[in-house]
Amino acid sequence: MAMIRGLIGVFTYLDDVLSAIVRLQQEKVAIQNVYSPTKRPEILEAMKTKPSRIRLVSLVAAILGGCSGLALASYAHLRWRLITSGKPILPWIPWVIIFFEVLILISVLSTVAALLIAGRIPRIHYAKGGYNPRFTEDRYGVEIYADPGTLDRARAIMNESGAEEVNEI
Amino acid sequence: MEVESYKEINERILASLGRPSLLYRFVILLLFIGTLVGVTCWALQIARGLGIAGYVHPVYWIIYLTNFIFWIGIGHSGTLISAILYLFRAKWRTGISRSAEAMTIFCVFIAALFPVIHLGRSLIVYWLIPYPNQRTLWPNFQSPLMFDVFAVSTYFTVSLLFWYIGLVPDLAVIRDRSQGFRRKIYGLFSLGWTGNHRQWHHYGTAYLILAGLATPLVLSVHSVVSWDFALIVIPGYHDTVFAPYFVDGAIHSGLAMVLILLIPLRRIYKFEKFITLSDLESIGKAMIVTGLFIGYCYGMELFMAWYSGNRFEKDMVLFRLMGQYSPSYYLALICNIAAPMFLFSKRIRTNTKGLFTVAVFVIFGMWLERYFIVLGPMAQDFIPYNWGTYFPGIVESLITFGSVCFFFFLFSLFAKFLPSVSIAESKEDLKPLLRKARTGD
Repeated sequence: MAMIRGLIGVFTYLDDVLSAIVRLQQEKVAIQNVYSPTKRPEILEAMKTKPSRIRLVSLVAAILGGCSGLALASYAHLRWRLITSGKPILPWIPWVIIFFEVLILISVLSTVAALLIAGRIPRIHYAKGGYNPRFTEDRYGVEIYADPGTLDRARAIMNESGAEEVNEI
Repeated sequence: MEVESYKEINERILASLGRPSLLYRFVILLLFIGTLVGVTCWALQIARGLGIAGYVHPVYWIIYLTNFIFWIGIGHSGTLISAILYLFRAKWRTGISRSAEAMTIFCVFIAALFPVIHLGRSLIVYWLIPYPNQRTLWPNFQSPLMFDVFAVSTYFTVSLLFWYIGLVPDLAVIRDRSQGFRRKIYGLFSLGWTGNHRQWHHYGTAYLILAGLATPLVLSVHSVVSWDFALIVIPGYHDTVFAPYFVDGAIHSGLAMVLILLIPLRRIYKFEKFITLSDLESIGKAMIVTGLFIGYCYGMELFMAWYSGNRFEKDMVLFRLMGQYSPSYYLALICNIAAPMFLFSKRIRTNTKGLFTVAVFVIFGMWLERYFIVLGPMAQDFIPYNWGTYFPGIVESLITFGSVCFFFFLFSLFAKFLPSVSIAESKEDLKPLLRKARTGD
């Protein structure tokens, strides 16, 4: 089996990165990561990213959160009954507020947790692989891992697409 | 925004994190001393009892409640500006959102201190948290005080996370340009962010969801705070207009505080290219709208007292207009409604000194508004036998002063150690470098 190694191409111009991504995909080279200094919808589009599942997590957490807020309030009122002249022990209308606040709280906490899991952070060894501090300044990076034959083709593609430099990882 | 490259954005914003000047250190020291004065008074109050805070029957907690509403109100604008403007894709958000969000966090933190301060036994504040205990005693979830506990703690948590998530990519920028211990600290908080496409993709979705969840939350929290009063059957408190009235007041004061913070920040750190005059003008325009709505609410209070035919409401309004606390009412009218109307003039609206002056008036006026709303009905309710008078004493005034110093202390530290303008969003707003554009292909 051929040894797997990697390449990181550093780009200055956005259109060069996009062109490299498209050509690498045409050549069936799997792109591991594309680094950019800011969120660029063009890159996400070129990488054909699917809608994030974080949305689903937020929705489910919101429903569960709201229900758990109501459950907590009901439990508390059943454990410590405040019997006041004909008023219900479980007053649903004021609990809309508790429902709403806990819904938001649990949904937000779950959204952040989902972001951490999906974005694979926190990472201690973030600088391993092709990461370069210039990617948080003004450069783009395309990181690939493949067998040596494919890497040669990939290197050629990145150079032709206008890479400022292509380094081995 | 008038910057030309990503590199320039990094350099200009990170320049604000340089070595602090002598003047900065002196200001920080003064603010710290001011904070200590407040803390000392609080300690004195705990040791000697609430009597030294000027509590007289039937008027309790006035300054502390006023401060609670005042600070939490200011805290609203930050997340509101940031979240709503993000949802509407308003470009003028970029320069101001980070500082406004930080302002929110500090304000809500300080606001949350006041209920603790006005508890005589501050150390048992945790009794408000619903947790299993040996007495099987649970809080009453019908009480607006419990609504407050849930609303404020949720708001603080959400605002903090919204702010922090927005900061992570910027912390990575600082990490990559730092050395030694500083690099370790920023590295720890940047969570190993690398800016790969997967991270940006999920980040974008999560940030949008957080903005979407934060927006109704902002509106709900101050409504809940207003219900602390509106659910009490006392003339002057028991009013259906309170929720929108409080929310609008909160936005009004928050916008004013954003101006008070951003105008000096922009000048000191030379952020004119990020926080443009046009951004400040937009805040000024928003203040005209909130000022007019405040005027409508004041008018509705007077109208409903007459139209309802309720003699207790009418007496309350007459007390507000002609009683011993009427100067605070008229001053609030001038500061909250008349002063922002000067912003109809483009000359004042596009002048930082003019904007700053109006903002100071509004902040002062909004504090007075909270003061007369809280104080009036408590000092004069249904029974003349129960009427009383109150004027702030030295202890509660110094605690208030300490809270102001603490707020500016926290904000000054923020401005020195974290980027007060979002680096990642500033880059997002900038047109990316294209070879096509460079070579004209």
